[in-house]
Amino acid sequence: MINKKNSLIIFIVLIVGILFTSSVMAQETVELEMWHAWTGQDAFASEVLLPKIEEFQENNPNIKLKIQVIPNDSYRTKLRTQAAGGQIPDIMQTYPGSEVQPLVEAGLLMDLEGIIDYWTDDLIPRDSLSAYTFNDKVYAIPAKVNYTHFAFYNKDMLAEAGYTEWPETYEEFKVMGDALKENDIVPISLGNKAKWVLQSIYISTIGDRLTGIDYLEDVLAGERKFTDPAFIKALDVIKELADEGYFNKDANSLNDMEMRQAFYQKRAAMFFGGAWDIGGVIETAKEENMNVGIATFPQIEGEVAPKALSGVTGSAFSIRSGLSEAQKEAAIKFLKFFYSEETYVDLLRTGSFVPAKVDLPADISPQFQDVINLVNEHQIGPVYDAVLPINLIQTINNGLQSLTAGEITSEELAQKMQDNL
Amino acid sequence: MEHIYKHKKKLIYLGILPAFLLYLGFVIVPIFISARYSLVEWNGFSPPAFVGLENYAEMFGNNVFWRSLKNNMVVVLASVLGQVPIGFLLALLVNQKIKGRHFFRTIIFMPVVISAVIISLVWSMVYNYNFGLLNNILNFVGLESWVQNWLSNPDIAMFSVAAVIIWQFVGLYFIIFLAALQTVPDEILEAAKIDGAQGWKRTLYITIPLVKDSILASIVLCISGSLKTFALIYVMTNGGPSHATEVMAIHMYDNTFNGMKFGYGSAVSIFIVVFGIVLVTIVRNLFARFEN
Repeated sequence: MINKKNSLIIFIVLIVGILFTSSVMAQETVELEMWHAWTGQDAFASEVLLPKIEEFQENNPNIKLKIQVIPNDSYRTKLRTQAAGGQIPDIMQTYPGSEVQPLVEAGLLMDLEGIIDYWTDDLIPRDSLSAYTFNDKVYAIPAKVNYTHFAFYNKDMLAEAGYTEWPETYEEFKVMGDALKENDIVPISLGNKAKWVLQSIYISTIGDRLTGIDYLEDVLAGERKFTDPAFIKALDVIKELADEGYFNKDANSLNDMEMRQAFYQKRAAMFFGGAWDIGGVIETAKEENMNVGIATFPQIEGEVAPKALSGVTGSAFSIRSGLSEAQKEAAIKFLKFFYSEETYVDLLRTGSFVPAKVDLPADISPQFQDVINLVNEHQIGPVYDAVLPINLIQTINNGLQSLTAGEITSEELAQKMQDNL
Repeated sequence: MEHIYKHKKKLIYLGILPAFLLYLGFVIVPIFISARYSLVEWNGFSPPAFVGLENYAEMFGNNVFWRSLKNNMVVVLASVLGQVPIGFLLALLVNQKIKGRHFFRTIIFMPVVISAVIISLVWSMVYNYNFGLLNNILNFVGLESWVQNWLSNPDIAMFSVAAVIIWQFVGLYFIIFLAALQTVPDEILEAAKIDGAQGWKRTLYITIPLVKDSILASIVLCISGSLKTFALIYVMTNGGPSHATEVMAIHMYDNTFNGMKFGYGSAVSIFIVVFGIVLVTIVRNLFARFEN
């Protein structure tokens, strides 16, 4: 009996102790739940953004960040679903345009107007925040500009097929593709299992160039249509690339990681990827002694905006609305620390493009300097999945896959998109 | 027996209660909530708008939905005609007094306990067009013409996926049948032997009728499991290429969470439930008639 009694007393003391300490701690520390999608494979995350978060934690022991990292593909679904249930974290990465819009419209996010001067005074032009601006209020600060379209090609493999230069026109590009095929080399490595690759990387830039960069806005406003011949022509380009066998045959069952691997393992002469691939490609090329060139899609006849390059700001954090004063203060403190001039300079160094007006560091790598020059020759155009509403993104993602599998025609897909508008 | 139950009835109910409450809260109630959602158009954010049966009308008018239903039937048939007979044959084999049967028992059951995601990744590699095991073996033995684009060719992708589903769950039915076979009394089998029933005859007329309840239970499990099938296909092909491997659960997921059409997704879910109940009822009736 005594034993039982004793253990009961100990138990009560423990419980009271735990309750007491936690209530004391709650007075001192602010806890913030944070979600982001940086798993740390890319240089910009592992070398800049993630260390930045750690540094903030060290500097602010009284602000406790409870972090959940969710890989990109599932992150969007998870955030959307949780938001539909009204349960989102205090600080979260949000995706631009039509992805974040429903969260804003549902009143789940805090507008940053009260503190936006900190950035817009002379670091970030307000234009660069447009993908996160709704009703003239800004809801997130982006860290990067993600151009979603680059061609990464193996110079040696092209040379073997007789090409020392990246082709100027699409017609030449196809001739080169045929030459590569004759050498038993897959011209383009593609992994479109997750369905966003053909949309984000391919049709965004090819479409922007053929239809003009205002096209999507015009279509959404009802002034133009998806059945516009220029858009159908853009779809035809993708269909042609598939039908003529320029892609690997199993493109629809590989993911984007396998797509890059095939290129690195010299099973394909090129792949199309986004700005997020630049750091990795440059690094791998160095390790593997590969001679890699970076370009954009060659000129297609009939282009309206020949130099368009699809891109959108990204790696942005939003703050949940309805935080307590202490939490709000802590969250703002974090944003100001995280999106500082220093961060943007560091990001440039890892080969990322940034929305802020900062000077290029002198020690930037020559390869990245080349890419910056390449980008400077272009004008930014919209990325389809940052502009289109979500049901149309689903339609075009599924549709492009069907197009390359030969199950529908470009006209049918265009009509379907117009019907779903 | 009876009076033991009578005294302990309350206790029995009490014991069932926690599980029943969980089941009620997480299975039964959500079905009714889904049924309600299936009558609205809702993107998760803006207030739901009542649209009556419009979601069902849209569903029945959607080619992709019919394709997903067809694909689901492929899975159901592959499971019922594949998993159950193969599982039964394997159980018959391992039920013999052969050497190393414990080893075989473990090996055959193994795929059931491996996570679906791992199985999918492994089989994606086996099916890989360029360096996959399957195509390599075919090349090696000189069957180049059989080399296929197993997961990217819309005409065969569904069958490639179905084969993996069979492979994964054979072990489950194998274990159920093995347990059932061990309840078949030796005396009856011996008596049959003395009466002259040998080999297959004995299996067909003695063993199978004695384990038919397990067979029925397996078929019911098989049908309901096949209608729910999701993870394996989601990881292997994501429903592609071009909806070629899209089953109803993936169709539902894609529309609900990628298209943010919660109403439409709920309509598909409700259809899956109703369709499952109908299929299982048909099978039970068939069995009942067979018995009479």
